[in-house]
Amino acid sequence: MNIITKFKSMFSDKDVDDKEPVQDNIADEITSITSEPVEEDKPFSEPEPVVRRVVRVPAVADDIFPPNDENKVLIKAQPSANSGQCLFMVNRPLFSGHSWWFPSFESAEGSPLVERLFSLEDVESVLVNEATITITRKDKNICDWKLLGAEIGTALRELLTEEGPLISQKIISEMPSQDEIQEGIQKAIDEEVNPGVAGHGGLITLEHVAGNTITIKMGGGCQGCSSADLTLKEGIHSSFRKFVPQVGAIFDETDHAAGLNPYF
Amino acid sequence: MPKLNKFRIQIQTGSEGIEEPARFCFNSHVLPLEELSGGTKAGEILEGGYAVGSVAHSMTLIGPEKGTWSLQKIKVDFECENTPPYSVEYPAVELDETTELDIWKDPPLSTFDV
Repeated sequence: MNIITKFKSMFSDKDVDDKEPVQDNIADEITSITSEPVEEDKPFSEPEPVVRRVVRVPAVADDIFPPNDENKVLIKAQPSANSGQCLFMVNRPLFSGHSWWFPSFESAEGSPLVERLFSLEDVESVLVNEATITITRKDKNICDWKLLGAEIGTALRELLTEEGPLISQKIISEMPSQDEIQEGIQKAIDEEVNPGVAGHGGLITLEHVAGNTITIKMGGGCQGCSSADLTLKEGIHSSFRKFVPQVGAIFDETDHAAGLNPYF
Repeated sequence: MPKLNKFRIQIQTGSEGIEEPARFCFNSHVLPLEELSGGTKAGEILEGGYAVGSVAHSMTLIGPEKGTWSLQKIKVDFECENTPPYSVEYPAVELDETTELDIWKDPPLSTFDV
């Protein structure tokens, strides 16, 4: 006799044994409701979604300059979305195979191209990469790049027409090897960058090194995070340049739109 | 992230085509292409599109349920809100039952000559 049967028998004037089969049935029902999940119906269950691997192939790039204008110095300006920077694309090489970041006028010594650019008002820093120049302006509140862009265009055109050296020979001769740069950046990631972003579940990986130009990928909590750009420019760039002062352009290859677990 | 009003896609199939309808995935929602013309058999060109009318986070072309789909060329014409229409072209790629192709690209930043 189970405990429910005994309990009910205390309030019954009939013989307990007459009731026992019925009480056992009730007890069985209670047991079946409380301890066994309903397997058959599963009203809210759905089939497991098929997880596919997303293939990314680089889009076919359009030629930004007409091929029949090779003799002319052609320059296109592309302001960034936040307007603090502008990319200038030139139809001829400026620093083949390398890139260099000039944070101040003093750092431009011996590089006529960059000395000339720093002589313009409102230029804060200059990044030269292959056939492009990225200018960061001092006054971040000015969104219109037309005026400064025209001055930069004139300066570039004059220098390129003179056909003299553009970047200091000292920079080129003292450039570390690609292996040394890779080793230094990996050390920066392991010792400073990743321990720093780990608190937010972030993870930075070094994807590619070409000369002194590097490409990284932001994963974990950094992927898709609204502060990823700030983290990259204020934190990661500084750390990389502290460990490897000769590092040039730093690219982020992260597909932030595909982030599943960003830390906001 | 821009609001994608609509898009048209042109898919040129290479040596291996598919029998099933082409589908795409927009912000994790699987949808069929609409206003179709052409086909997805070997050597054929399929044209289709969709009036999405939503902010775009991701967009992929889904591979076949079975077999391989060899794509010779893919061209996508995007019409987003507040930006001029733009096109993106992708080179040859193969898709199968385990893959999907990322076909979303943000509107290009505007440029001017200096």
